[in-house]
Amino acid sequence: MSSPVLSLTWHLARSSGRRGLQSQLLAAVVAAVSTFVLLLMIAASLGSGDRADRTAWRTPHAVPAKAATAIQALTTTYVRHEPVTVVSLAQLPGREATPAPPGLSAFPEQGEVYLSPALVELVRELPADQLADRLPGPARGSYGTIGVAGLASPDELVAVVGRVPTDPAVSTAAEGGNFYDEGQTERATIATFSSPKPSLFTGLDQQMAVLGVVLLVMPVIVLGSAAGRLGAARRELRLAALRLAGATPRQIIAMTAAEAAAVGAAGALTGALAYGALLPALAEIPYGIGAWYTWQLWVGLPWLAAVVLAVTALITVSAVTMLHRVATSPLGVAQQANPRRTRMIRLVLFVAVLGYVTFSTQGSQLGTRQLVALLALFYGAFWLFGPWVVDRLGRIAGRFARRPATLLAARRLSDDPSGAWRTVSGLVLAGFVAGFFSVSQLSFGFPDQPGQVAVVTGDSAAAQRAAAEARTLLREAGVTATVTVPSEDDFHNPLHGSPGLIARVTGGQDQIDTAVTALTPLTAGRLPYTQDYPNAMDNVVTDRLGMVSTATLAMSFLIAAASAGLTAAANVLDRRRVYNLLRLTGTPLKVLDRARVRETALPLAVLAGGTTTMGVYGAYQLNKAADSTMNTSGALQLAACVTIGTLAMLTAISASKPLLRKVTAEPTQTAN
Amino acid sequence: MSTVLAGHGLIKKYGSTTALAGVDVEVGARDSLAIMGPSGSGKSTLLHTLAGIIRPDGGQVLLRGERIDQLGENRLSALRRKRFGFVFQFGQLLPELPAEENVALPLMLEGVPRKEAVKRARRWFSPLGLEGLEQRRPGQLSGGQAQRVAIARALAVEPDVVFADEPTGALDQATSTEVIQLLTFVTRDSGAALVMVTHDADVAAHCGRILQVRDGRIHSHDQYTVA
Repeated sequence: MSSPVLSLTWHLARSSGRRGLQSQLLAAVVAAVSTFVLLLMIAASLGSGDRADRTAWRTPHAVPAKAATAIQALTTTYVRHEPVTVVSLAQLPGREATPAPPGLSAFPEQGEVYLSPALVELVRELPADQLADRLPGPARGSYGTIGVAGLASPDELVAVVGRVPTDPAVSTAAEGGNFYDEGQTERATIATFSSPKPSLFTGLDQQMAVLGVVLLVMPVIVLGSAAGRLGAARRELRLAALRLAGATPRQIIAMTAAEAAAVGAAGALTGALAYGALLPALAEIPYGIGAWYTWQLWVGLPWLAAVVLAVTALITVSAVTMLHRVATSPLGVAQQANPRRTRMIRLVLFVAVLGYVTFSTQGSQLGTRQLVALLALFYGAFWLFGPWVVDRLGRIAGRFARRPATLLAARRLSDDPSGAWRTVSGLVLAGFVAGFFSVSQLSFGFPDQPGQVAVVTGDSAAAQRAAAEARTLLREAGVTATVTVPSEDDFHNPLHGSPGLIARVTGGQDQIDTAVTALTPLTAGRLPYTQDYPNAMDNVVTDRLGMVSTATLAMSFLIAAASAGLTAAANVLDRRRVYNLLRLTGTPLKVLDRARVRETALPLAVLAGGTTTMGVYGAYQLNKAADSTMNTSGALQLAACVTIGTLAMLTAISASKPLLRKVTAEPTQTAN
Repeated sequence: MSTVLAGHGLIKKYGSTTALAGVDVEVGARDSLAIMGPSGSGKSTLLHTLAGIIRPDGGQVLLRGERIDQLGENRLSALRRKRFGFVFQFGQLLPELPAEENVALPLMLEGVPRKEAVKRARRWFSPLGLEGLEQRRPGQLSGGQAQRVAIARALAVEPDVVFADEPTGALDQATSTEVIQLLTFVTRDSGAALVMVTHDADVAAHCGRILQVRDGRIHSHDQYTVA
């Protein structure tokens, strides 16, 4: 690019007037928002992976007994329904010193108790008989603190207890082995803390976050493209004049690219700066196990640069593509190319992908990664398919339209199906997200057993002996409860067939937590538990899916509405000459406005309905893969989502009505 | 000749600039009036004022004896739609509509059923030499063809007056002559009056009268007999 082009671009951009500056500013804001959202999505994905890695050390990674230097036992207890991870460590005598676990300065000696800062706070907050008494009292009179290196979140509740190898808490009785443990209770001889297995509470977080990213990336790209279109009409007129003055197509494209890249880069950098500045606030947003450490959400400079460059490139390419007509012909502004027909190959590709996805999900259990990949594939195919549907819809509606507004809308749809698709794609794909998530509230856990505290014992006889002691302990703790020893054939209690006793506690959560604490001495190596324990996996999946779906839906709708609003405004500016002349010749404003709304509402009604159905189908496949049932009550949530999204989009389009009124009120043929 | 449209003492100011300084003009049925003048002389302002697009600061605009300059925006809009036709330099056709639907659109806006509107629109294609182009879009038409479609659209509502603002401004000489001949002939044939702004003396010569405007005033008023 030669320097005269740059200097001329700069001069023209500066002298583009208030409207020109407004559209540049708006484009920059959209670029900033797109960058911010993309960085946030990447941060959530990378950060949740980092968090999972940081929990791995707590899962014992067994080494042969000869090589072992210590015994590690992991167990989980619940207070106020929140999991508390308890890691018991015992140095084996006569063996090499075991290295310090992450977050501790040395391997804990017997009686040393280290707590995470959040657990320290909770221990201080709650009466001792509800939590602190479950843990051994600290030998040195106070608890040590687990450092950040050993924690995945500042909200995590973790305790590390130093014990001797003969302590029941690290004995074989603490090995777990029940089908519902799901890694919450494990024991092994170890030599280091280099386990690859993350905790149950963080293991799914990254996959769920990636799922959200896959579903959001297209709406964000659409938003960025819409930003590139802003100001296109103004640029077209200005650059068409330059073409007539002798500028070459290459120079026109270079000038457009330079201006769009400058605006896009400024916006993207602002978005990146906002992301950086808001990191501490973003880190406070809880996901899964709680809030984040700020650095966990820092994506690093390579990612930051890549996103800034990608958004800048997206806006530049979008702006240059819009200028194609001017670059081709100086009179291109006034002329209209032939309708941009879509080819049948789009339908063929879509059907092929749909068939492949259907075939792939039939009769086999797929992993989450495979499902995400299939989802992405399906998503991409739908992106190709959308314009084809819009084109056909426009032709059908055009054939049967009776009113001018419908006819205008229909002809516009078939004239530029890709453009019309871009307008609605955000919400149409959000409909897919809504359909997918609303019915995939997995519910494959055990039924809730409120007020029941379970104590696992070695066998039924031990359970019978422990029952009497349990009654005493509960009475002394002031807990009103009925203690029974259920049959091992009875699965309608938190023991789920394990030998042990059940205490049915009267009162609220305080009483249940007190009962769990009171019964702790009964167990050799295993802490008493409530239904939270066997339901942990179900709760984690439901919670993460719920969080990701809510966040994805909210962001999808916001982005879709913003894209629709921007595209509608850009369309008004693109077509202001025609609108202006139609108004001059007496076409009512309401006809033009209705045509604009129908241009969106028609494909929205058909495609959003279609994608929502497909989303439900996708969720069905996921549920099938997870061997769980569909949540049919999600239908109401789905209807609410689609209604809110549609209203948001129509409101966003209506927001450009004053602009339409303004551009058609100018009693002049001049387009600017 | 009965007066269809009249402007009396028309005054229009933009800030300190006077675009019209007391212009009087009358047009009768089947009459054709060309308004000429240098850039900034006020000729377009005069056309827009007569067409009810611009409200004058002084004077009156009468359509068949009724004042229209005091009508509300909605009534003015309806008036332009029902009783006036417009032909602009370019760009007035909706690019996504086929030619026949562009012509039928004003009729549909008036509540004429689509089938009937298209039928009535097609009647104009033969007189304007547009047979076979009914399904073409504006982008698939030449400049002259597009202007003829615009003329058909202007006349489809059977207006009292057709306003043309530089209707041949984007056409070459030969096409320009062809289009202006058609415009003046078909307009007169339909019984409507024609008010046209043009820079081109050859184009203006096809009109019955030429009004020269300078500095917002009528400089000269020539009358011809047009065959």
